Amino acid sequence: MPSDQRLHPSSFVFAVAGHLKNFLVPGLVVLFTAGVSGADWQVWTMAGIIPLAGFGLIRSLSYRYRLDDSELVVRTGFVFRNERHIPYARIQNVEVIQNVFHRLLGVVEVKIETGATNEDEARLQVVSVRAHQEIRDRVFAHRTEPLRAEAAAPGDGTIILTLPARELLLSGLIANRSAVVIAAAFGVVWELGLFDFFFTWTFGDKLTGRDIAAQVARAIAGRGLPSPWYLSLAAGTMLALFAGVTVISMVWAYVRLYGFTLRRVGDDLLAEFGLFTRIATTIPLRRIQTLTVFEGPLYRFFARASVKVETAGGEAADERVSRREPLVPIIGRIHLQQFLQQVLPDIDATRAEWRPAETRAVRREFRQTTVIAIVVTSFFVVMLKFWSLLLLMLLLFLARVHARRYVASLGWALVDNAVLFRRGWMWRRFTAARFSKMQAVALHQSPFDRRYGMARVQVDTAGANDGSDAVYIPYLSSATARALHDRLAAEASRTSFEW
Amino acid sequence: MEPSADPPVAESVADGVTRPLDPRVIPLDRLAGYILTASLSAILALATLVTWIAADSWWVPTALTVAWPLLTAGLLWLSYAWPGIDYRYHTYCVDERGIEIRHGVFWRSVENVPRSRVQHIDVSQGPLERRFGLGKLSIYTAGTEYALVALRGLTHERALRIRDHLLPGESQDAV
Repeated sequence: MPSDQRLHPSSFVFAVAGHLKNFLVPGLVVLFTAGVSGADWQVWTMAGIIPLAGFGLIRSLSYRYRLDDSELVVRTGFVFRNERHIPYARIQNVEVIQNVFHRLLGVVEVKIETGATNEDEARLQVVSVRAHQEIRDRVFAHRTEPLRAEAAAPGDGTIILTLPARELLLSGLIANRSAVVIAAAFGVVWELGLFDFFFTWTFGDKLTGRDIAAQVARAIAGRGLPSPWYLSLAAGTMLALFAGVTVISMVWAYVRLYGFTLRRVGDDLLAEFGLFTRIATTIPLRRIQTLTVFEGPLYRFFARASVKVETAGGEAADERVSRREPLVPIIGRIHLQQFLQQVLPDIDATRAEWRPAETRAVRREFRQTTVIAIVVTSFFVVMLKFWSLLLLMLLLFLARVHARRYVASLGWALVDNAVLFRRGWMWRRFTAARFSKMQAVALHQSPFDRRYGMARVQVDTAGANDGSDAVYIPYLSSATARALHDRLAAEASRTSFEW
Repeated sequence: MEPSADPPVAESVADGVTRPLDPRVIPLDRLAGYILTASLSAILALATLVTWIAADSWWVPTALTVAWPLLTAGLLWLSYAWPGIDYRYHTYCVDERGIEIRHGVFWRSVENVPRSRVQHIDVSQGPLERRFGLGKLSIYTAGTEYALVALRGLTHERALRIRDHLLPGESQDAV
């Protein structure tokens, strides 16, 4: 009879630290504001951390797990006891996280997921590396499949993709999403005048951030141009800020994705990455519901793309590899075809016969965008006066270009096992959804659709939380839409669904 | 779809015929509409009364007094007319492959759920539905937007039969 195992003796440190981390940011804010305003009751609210940390401590000390013949048994709690049985056969993924502190102590955090829930079925925080080995061996000893990614030693399987440093930096440059956030935050701080002190200190006079914003506003309102000195300072600040944020983004991508390796082991994909915190995550190929290739303007400029897969059941074990993150943050476009063949061997997108959307839809798309253009312009009428006509003309021109390009970019195709859908001309997306993963098929007709004899076809899959990656084909003629809908429904009913 | 060679006890629900809902759903929806109208109307009447007593301005209570009968009449008319219009555009079709539901007066939709994708099914009956002998079929799939596909306005007995047909086990067709 296997005996109960305790967690690693250092576990309580991580359990308490986990709670402390949540209090770090609010704690700093409170301490800072209290230091300024001298209100110390706020400091006392931070005492709320003590029961929470104590709770974590108790949980950690009471945690026991047992590796039975066919199941993992986890027991927690001193007063309110809980015992959870997890059959090995139901375990989808054993995820391992090792950050710097884990490495120092020679321990790992192990998360065990089954397909059933969105949360970890069991989280062993933390166990020794040897204990992890034992868990892995036990869990995967019963697998009938010859080789499982989780059970694989490093180096097993075939390497599909590795990302060298240059690619990592490039991905940081392209996916510079944090720039928006930081720029917005900076704008707020600027407007609040928190830089006044800094500016006064640097330039020695009353040159404040708000002044620059006010000058620009005045210039737009037609009350005289700001001095070139102001303008160049504002532009220079923005440029420096943008460059700084981009560098941070690139460094972050380098640190986070360091040593990115995607391997195929048996029927699973195994992605490993991270400089300080190593993350290993597994995606069984059969659990891929849809696959989307994304090419934004910058991606196309560098002849790159990113690939995202939606999986169902069992949230990826760590928020850092959540489903919203791409599976492949960056891949050269020349390698894309080969990559898709390895990940979706049963879908041959190269032989797809693409069918277009209705060209009549250009007018409809143009009209819709025109409405947006008019609304946008109306916001500026007061400020721009007659110049708003110019703005409207410009927006209408863009609407025209957009309508034609967008409708031309739409396309769908049926291949042996899947439906393919592509859309977008600036932000291009290509999505493949297997017939066997389609849950429901729907056909929609708005009043406008009916007037033009058109319809839209929607394919619903599991885990399609990000609507922009779903198969939702607009602007089909009613007859085409109906035929496609019926065909998809028939194909779906012909296959059986497995998670 | 060709009919199955061995007929079950009752005639199969999987006949591939597009059917309207049970007509009793019209009085049911009207009744529900009247109840809703009455509640809203009562709330509005109360609000009008309160403003007459408490508000300083004269135009707010006046406007409410004018709006109250208009709104009530409008809602009454809608409660009466809408169920009939909605009924005309609400159909379903069950066959061997699954179920297809059409609905929507202005924004029309056709929803198709294959049998093999049905995770589980609820048949429920509210207090009003029970009076009219109707039931609601709730089909759950593993999908996201169509995680729940509902079909109401069926006789309770028919809802149960459709459930039995859609759930696997009865006749597991080869896939």
